[in-house]
Amino acid sequence: MNTSPLRLIALPLLAAAATAATAATAAPAATVWVTDAASSKLTFVATQAGGEFEGRFARFTPAIVFDPADLAHSRFNVDIATAAAETGEHDRDNILKGKDFFAVERWPQARFETRVFRVTGPASYEATGKLTLRDVTREVRLPFTFKRGADGKSAVLAGTTTVRRLDFGVGQGEWIDTQWVGNDVRIHFELNLKQAPP
Amino acid sequence: MPLRNTAENYGSLAKLLHWSIVILIIVQYFIAEAADELPDGLEKLQILSRHKSVGMLLLMLAVVRILWKLANKGQPVPVGTGALKKAAAAGHGLLYLLLLLQPISGWAMSSAANYPVAFFGWFQFPALVGTHPGLHEILEDVHEVLFYVLVAVAVLHILAALYHHFAMKDDVLKRMLPLGKRTG
Repeated sequence: MNTSPLRLIALPLLAAAATAATAATAAPAATVWVTDAASSKLTFVATQAGGEFEGRFARFTPAIVFDPADLAHSRFNVDIATAAAETGEHDRDNILKGKDFFAVERWPQARFETRVFRVTGPASYEATGKLTLRDVTREVRLPFTFKRGADGKSAVLAGTTTVRRLDFGVGQGEWIDTQWVGNDVRIHFELNLKQAPP
Repeated sequence: MPLRNTAENYGSLAKLLHWSIVILIIVQYFIAEAADELPDGLEKLQILSRHKSVGMLLLMLAVVRILWKLANKGQPVPVGTGALKKAAAAGHGLLYLLLLLQPISGWAMSSAANYPVAFFGWFQFPALVGTHPGLHEILEDVHEVLFYVLVAVAVLHILAALYHHFAMKDDVLKRMLPLGKRTG
């Protein structure tokens, strides 16, 4: 059995080096951000009878890990409470939460997740992720901007994308009609981020 | 029949506006009643959006009607004297006011509920007020009460016209009839 002093010293050294290497990979990992729920918003613009109206999701939970210098380790996971959809009028809210649209009792959460980012311009990017609404998951491209505050510890993440509600089965039965309820729904978000404490 | 009003007769445009407004208000009542019967759903959305489009058309017609009246100042010449003449002027003023307020209250009522007001799917009017559920409830009542007031004033208007025709035997009713001609 080899119990040379050299080996006794070398093993912990190797282990330490391995730990250091892991740490070195982790160190530039993208920044974890905390979203200020009160000032952030997730809204949508839909069309009914030829006119647009805006609604919002009052509750959503974004987990944002993002660093323009480290897109490879960046990721968004956003959980959206479908029951918190609000359009300013309770009859319409009830229809929206009902079985033909979000069916919130069966599918209380919608989710957007992505790990794929590319740069599209100064401070602008595009994420390719998966949006799950009801029981349908589809790829969605999400162009957005990421602007750091002067202190570097805060940032604003904002973007807009358009999805087709019927791709996700949002609008069953008579609501498949797109003449009276448009298929395109514009989704907009604006997140006020603070860098998470290390 | 001339387009413009004359001293004795309403022109074709004033008549067209007057009678279009009458017919569309009746149509509006039945559309609103039909929508009231329906549960929330696509059909109700369709019917109510027609009610809104026709309502906005009525608002535009009322504005044109009033502008046209101003452009034909004093024609046809008002009839009657003293208090009755003043009452007629006040009644007409109230009718014009209601023709404006009725669609505007509906428009504001939609806006307060964040419902878009479009014109037959062609374009969209801006929201008149911000989203406010409490205000929506109030304006819904206002819109309904204004309709009853409008009906009441319109009934007086009809009675006055009939009084002119049958009791005073003048041309006041005839001068607004669609094909009516002054007979002397």
